[in-house]
Amino acid sequence: MTQTSDSSMQFVFSCPLSSGLHARPASHLAEIANQFACECSLTNLRNGLAANCKSVLGIISADVRHGDRCSLHLNGPDAHAAHTALQQFIEEALPQCDVPLAGIVPSPRSNKTPRPLQAANATCIFGTPVSRGIGHGPVVILKRMTLPVNVDTQTATNPSQELQQIKEAVAAVRHRIGEKLKYSLTPTGAAVLQADLAMAGDVFLVEKLTEQVRQGKSAGQAIVETGEFFIDLLGHSENEYIRQRSADIEEICLQLLEEVCGTSPATSIQLHEPSVLVAETLAPQQLLELDRRWLKAIVLEHSAATSHAAILARSLGIPTLAGVRNARLVLTSGREVVVDTNRGFVVPQFSPAVRRFYERERTTLERRKQSWSNHAGRAAKTADGTPLEVAANASSGEELTLAFENGADGVGLFRTEMIFLGREQPPSEDEQFAIYSEAARSAGGRPVIIRTFDIGGDKKVPYLNLPREDNPFLGYRGARIYADHRELLQAQLRAILRASALGPLQIMAPMVATLEEVAAFKSELAQAKQHLAQNGIAFQPEVKLGVMVEVPSVAFILDQLCREVDFFSIGTNDLSQYFFAADRGNQKIAPLFSVRHPAFLRFLQQLVSQIQQAGKWVGMCGEMAADVRNLPLLLGLELDEISVPAAEVHELKRSVSTLGAADCAKLLDRAMACQHAPEVDQLLSAHQSNHAEPLLTDELVLLESTSQTKAEVIQEMVDAFYVANRTDDRDLVEEALWAREAEYSTGLGHGFAIPHCKTDAVSANSICILRLHDPINWDSIHGEPVRMVVLLALRKSEVVNTHMQVFSSLARKLDDDDFRQHLLKFETAEQVTSYLAAQLRLPAGSVKPHPLAAERN
Amino acid sequence: MKIVAVTACPTGIAHTYMAAARLEKVAKNFGFEIKVETQGAMGIENKLTENDIRQAQIAIFAVDIEVEGRERFNGVKVIQVPLQEALKNPEGIFSKIQR
Repeated sequence: MTQTSDSSMQFVFSCPLSSGLHARPASHLAEIANQFACECSLTNLRNGLAANCKSVLGIISADVRHGDRCSLHLNGPDAHAAHTALQQFIEEALPQCDVPLAGIVPSPRSNKTPRPLQAANATCIFGTPVSRGIGHGPVVILKRMTLPVNVDTQTATNPSQELQQIKEAVAAVRHRIGEKLKYSLTPTGAAVLQADLAMAGDVFLVEKLTEQVRQGKSAGQAIVETGEFFIDLLGHSENEYIRQRSADIEEICLQLLEEVCGTSPATSIQLHEPSVLVAETLAPQQLLELDRRWLKAIVLEHSAATSHAAILARSLGIPTLAGVRNARLVLTSGREVVVDTNRGFVVPQFSPAVRRFYERERTTLERRKQSWSNHAGRAAKTADGTPLEVAANASSGEELTLAFENGADGVGLFRTEMIFLGREQPPSEDEQFAIYSEAARSAGGRPVIIRTFDIGGDKKVPYLNLPREDNPFLGYRGARIYADHRELLQAQLRAILRASALGPLQIMAPMVATLEEVAAFKSELAQAKQHLAQNGIAFQPEVKLGVMVEVPSVAFILDQLCREVDFFSIGTNDLSQYFFAADRGNQKIAPLFSVRHPAFLRFLQQLVSQIQQAGKWVGMCGEMAADVRNLPLLLGLELDEISVPAAEVHELKRSVSTLGAADCAKLLDRAMACQHAPEVDQLLSAHQSNHAEPLLTDELVLLESTSQTKAEVIQEMVDAFYVANRTDDRDLVEEALWAREAEYSTGLGHGFAIPHCKTDAVSANSICILRLHDPINWDSIHGEPVRMVVLLALRKSEVVNTHMQVFSSLARKLDDDDFRQHLLKFETAEQVTSYLAAQLRLPAGSVKPHPLAAERN
Repeated sequence: MKIVAVTACPTGIAHTYMAAARLEKVAKNFGFEIKVETQGAMGIENKLTENDIRQAQIAIFAVDIEVEGRERFNGVKVIQVPLQEALKNPEGIFSKIQR
């Protein structure tokens, strides 16, 4: 037993984070340091800056960048314990701190002004989109509130009184932020406010304030000078993340000043009508104070992708454009503007032509959304009526929301590892309960399969003490570690069970290989249920239990397993690797096998049929399900469900409707009879070209166009492709069409034009037909105006011969007066498409009526 | 008079075929016999055989890109025009040939 004497420890480390020691990892570090009594100081050996490790601001101000060596000095009675904790954190959890906060920031495809806007002489001022959407309204300019230079000239007579004021101000500001946190913000919104809260209570900040008062300054003056000190310190960092924090500290100091001086800094703006806010920069709490009903869009001068305000704007869904230099000078207060973050610009004059363009834009975007939900909202069914559940994989609450927005029928795999990784302590039952119950709620009655933690020796998890292994993939992982971590499993199971009271959650065990493991898992589940029942906590007693099929042994004990579990989900990623004894990441051997290999297909077929014969449910959650090429095989297998990344849900549902179940069953039989994977691939391509998306559908025949220029016509036709889900990138298609127009005119005379392009930006070879009420100028060969436009879009990468023949006969037919007269006279889209089908001798399936036509009538 | 022709445009989707249709129609008006080979996105269609070429008095290339298999035409008189010409003014091409 050592005497309690001051002990001193130190260690050196190198910063592993690519963005340096910015706000979030700094706050983790400070949090740990604050658990100990000893002094804790960090020195950046590169620049010599020293900081109090218990202060987030302090650590940030040491400007630790990627690769900087730092030394940590600990001095005090518990220095040893502090040393262990900090060292462990730095070695194991710190490298995981780089996960960026929320948000898929849309990037503009091209810095080009859309043609119709060019034609309308509208200037487009480009910026960086930071949050998606389109908004318009009169400009409201936010005056920048700066810290006043002099608050009052009196020096403080009673320092302790000034200090008291400061203490109270800090408490008040922290309280106010705490109140804001109570409103249901998104997780990212909450994270932003948490950071502000931490900063408002920062040790270094208070130290500095105290120092100023001791020097004789009044509370107000101390706040002003401290504020300036930190704004300066952070603002000069080379690290973008850290520079953004200076706006946060400024806002906090303004609030402190408000408390002390009682003045209300006129930063709050009252919005009374739909408005577009234009500011140099925006602090998160300013944003939160604005009436969001009226805030249609934001334009910022500073580039602010990582600022907390930007992150908040994104999570609140407010279209925001940043990096627009001199926005406050260029945009006039009160003048109506439109902010288009999809294309990355703001249009300062909302002229009638611009208004027209955006009205069309709004209709197009709505129609597209509508067509999505028509498809998405419904269960996928093959052309011959066989349903297939298309679910999504998710690892977080946000992905889950995205999955349902994309029309997923459920969540086939909710991975829980994210909750367990990147932290020093395991997540508590309550913390997990919050996550799972949120999942149950957003699912709105759809099933969510939660997989218990699947962690192995390849991951660093400090509280699991996983042994280093030579062969982690064949080692101690998944369900195998549960016997040694029962408390952890119990906490997770209890959390899932509690959440199951709110929605149909299901539980799935990973990496199961034997009946004993399943029995052990079931006993743990029973124990968790018993615990909750004894404590009167509600849960769904009949919660469904399933297992992942990843280990091949499972295939041979299905009869025994079917007596124990309710469902199975095939994890093809690991299953295929264990099956072929090959590592997919290994360049030398990965090409040697494929999930489409006949051996693997036969294996799957036996699995699925045996499970279904026992009356159980079987889905697939591996990558094999996400590849639309495999879909005919999966339909042939007669799986109950496939679970894929959220972004693929829509495409897969659509593809299901183009295939026939009976057809696919035959295809699978032929595939299983093949001898090599490439043979199967060929079978699939042949099948695909026979089932290509129809060339022309009724929804691509636009008979009453009111477009007034060539630019508008092209926009209208490309928008039709967009709404019909034949393209996700209108700008690329338009560019390809205009490139062709530039070569020489596509106006043939006789009032017809034939714009065309070759681009992979369309998902299928397509024809679009548009007829104008009033002829327009097209710069045609003989100068004739155009009334009828036939647009041909061909994919670069697959030239399906049958389609090309159609294009060429169409081109030839346009020379025929009789043909042209017919097209000019037809009254309905169906007439046009049937005429073309006959005239061009289109193969069956090249022309399809509108999928909802039957419902319309 | 027997004429052979090749049409080819860079994108090869529409103009190639329209020009071919044009040439065929107008040649007929002039009383010429014509066979037009198209070189488009689908590859070569209606390919001109050695025999076709041997029998022809003249070849028209209405092209904006290199003609594939140009060697076939060695020994035949060739008139080359931009593809646009075949679309805009096919009559002009045939008038010239007539003279």
